Amino acid sequence: MELQFTKHSASESSVNLSLSLTFPSTSPQRATKQDWPPIKPRLIDTLKGRRRLLQRDYDTCLFVKVYMEGVPIGRKLDLSTFSGYESLLENLSHMFNTSIICGNHRDRKHHVLTYQDTDGDWMMVGDIPWEMFLETVRRLKITKPERC
Amino acid sequence: MNYFPDEVIEHIFDFISSHKDRNSISLVSKSWHKIERCSRKRVFIGNCYAINPERLIQRFPSLRSLTLKGKPHFADFNLVPHEWGGFVHPWIVALAKARVGLEELRLKRMVVSDESLELLSRSFSSFKSLVLVSCEGFTTDGLASVAANCRHLRELDLQENEIDDHRGQWLNCFPESSTALTSLNFSCLKGETNLAALERLVARSPNLESLKVNRAVPLDALTRLMSCAPQLVDLGVGSYENEPDQESFMKLMAAIKKCTELRSLSGFSEVAPLCLTAFYPICQNLTSLNLSYAAEIQGNHLIRFIQFCKRLQRLWILDSIGDKGLEVVASTCKELQELRVFPSDLHDEEDNDTAVTEIGLVAISAGCPKLHSILYFCKQMTNAALITVAKNCPNFIRFRLCILEPNKPDHTTSQSLDEGFGAIVQACKGLRRLSVSGLLTDKVFLYIGMYAEQLEMLSIAFAGDTDKGMLYVLNGCKKMRKLEIRDSPFGNAALLADVDKYRTMRSLWMSSCEVTLGGCKRLARNAPWLNVEIINENENNDVMERNEEDEREKVDRLYLYRTVVGARKDAPPCVTIL
Repeated sequence: MELQFTKHSASESSVNLSLSLTFPSTSPQRATKQDWPPIKPRLIDTLKGRRRLLQRDYDTCLFVKVYMEGVPIGRKLDLSTFSGYESLLENLSHMFNTSIICGNHRDRKHHVLTYQDTDGDWMMVGDIPWEMFLETVRRLKITKPERC
Repeated sequence: MNYFPDEVIEHIFDFISSHKDRNSISLVSKSWHKIERCSRKRVFIGNCYAINPERLIQRFPSLRSLTLKGKPHFADFNLVPHEWGGFVHPWIVALAKARVGLEELRLKRMVVSDESLELLSRSFSSFKSLVLVSCEGFTTDGLASVAANCRHLRELDLQENEIDDHRGQWLNCFPESSTALTSLNFSCLKGETNLAALERLVARSPNLESLKVNRAVPLDALTRLMSCAPQLVDLGVGSYENEPDQESFMKLMAAIKKCTELRSLSGFSEVAPLCLTAFYPICQNLTSLNLSYAAEIQGNHLIRFIQFCKRLQRLWILDSIGDKGLEVVASTCKELQELRVFPSDLHDEEDNDTAVTEIGLVAISAGCPKLHSILYFCKQMTNAALITVAKNCPNFIRFRLCILEPNKPDHTTSQSLDEGFGAIVQACKGLRRLSVSGLLTDKVFLYIGMYAEQLEMLSIAFAGDTDKGMLYVLNGCKKMRKLEIRDSPFGNAALLADVDKYRTMRSLWMSSCEVTLGGCKRLARNAPWLNVEIINENENNDVMERNEEDEREKVDRLYLYRTVVGARKDAPPCVTIL
């Protein structure tokens, strides 16, 4: 694909290169707006989302081991399929058939989710932003309520 | 016929519903004109600035259903500024003032405000149906007024609109007594949905046939909705990123099995492939399938699903289905009438092996004898393929081909695609809509002018060499109504050659072409019945005050349309009406 420059002005340098690398846009004012190919905004949004997902695939598949305290056999979970802590907790609660919460709302009844990070330390799940969590998590453990 | 009393003639006219036919009737005689206009219930206005609401109401006092279109088509692709116009408010104000018994309003590419929706909801006690397509300017508060006040609402259909979601409780605003809903589509809403309110609403709407939910409706909620609405014919599914667990999946499948009337399926944005398989029980009943937002579902899953959809008439899909997938469609979907294949890779980052090519198009044309409408995005095309397609499918009414790279030639011969498109227009005698792309010279327009006798809408991008190209089209296509051109070397000579031609057309759009300000001014002078709009997003918009040299300046965007009400008064600063 060629890089196409129009006769207009030097403001091309501020153009979104990912667009002008593939498809020429002929007006500098409109250069930053997506006007080719002719598809509607909703599809563009959908495809942007897909790109994010594909990029996740290009990174590592984040399979981590999950143990429930007192249960010797663990499970494996691909964290990259979750959008955040809520969906992770929901899924784990389903998987282990019990209610599991993050560290903030502790009480005697619910299991608490903890994780082991790259340093080897065991931490409460939920304190750091999700994306950061994905970077540092190595394994998960669902602990009994009294332990924390 | 004049010996019949008026009531008899009116009764006969009742059987004639097509707009074109009714327009023709009204031209026969004065008395027919009067009977027709007094009995006319449905009016279609393709350009809201061609006429004003007062004249509309004067002519059609019994109006019940109004369709209005605002912005030009290229507004869909960011080529028209948001503030350009197309406001529905003055129409609603006028209709309310005249106490028109409005029951149905369908708007496309118009600006709608919450205020307009509120006024609408309070002014027309028999209001039944609101369809908004590609509109903007309103929020869920406006929807709340419609829900709360339109006691007889049957249809609320929101397609591809830009709606500010205030995460309010608009679904709660449907009164408990509201049980008449037949169609509810809010798939374009981006925020949270009150699931409990939605479930209650669906449960008390026994006539609900069409339900399209938004992203915020998860799997278990969908299961409950389908369980209390097994009569659904048309379903738009929400989104769920994660694989459902076994139990949820079985429950969903069970609910789906009961929906024996289901014929149309859409939605599926951000959906795990497993969710699609839950629909296997009913897929052989489907006549319409829209998976064009299902960006997460890979080609092989799509193929496995579609191979059971033997009754499909309409299919919208992403090009991740590939040529192999289209071959499966061709051998399975013998009833297929309309196909749209959208691009899934806008930045050319992925392996090209799986995208569609001319091979897929030829396969479809060979396998689907009833195909009459196609929209096909692809990376490459050949003349040979187009010639074969033309031979296989002479029944095309709509043929839209978009080769993603502008000016791309036939990839096997490096020649232009003139001959390929020429074959299409020559074979498809009933062609009404055409979009061309790839490397094209003036010759393709010679063919179009010569053969495309029924052509009403033509979209041109990055094509042609000289003014002759555009002239061939203007002179040849007698039925042309909408012509939209971008990034093509057509200039004043073509624009001005036959001014009266624009009397027979709804509109002309030209952007990034060679027309100059001087040429546009001349046109405006010679055709006072046209609105000639120059759209310019620059700072310095005071076009009239520039000196004479600027007459030679090229116009960035030109939009002209016939009108009986002169220049509009609501144009923003970036629009100059000459």
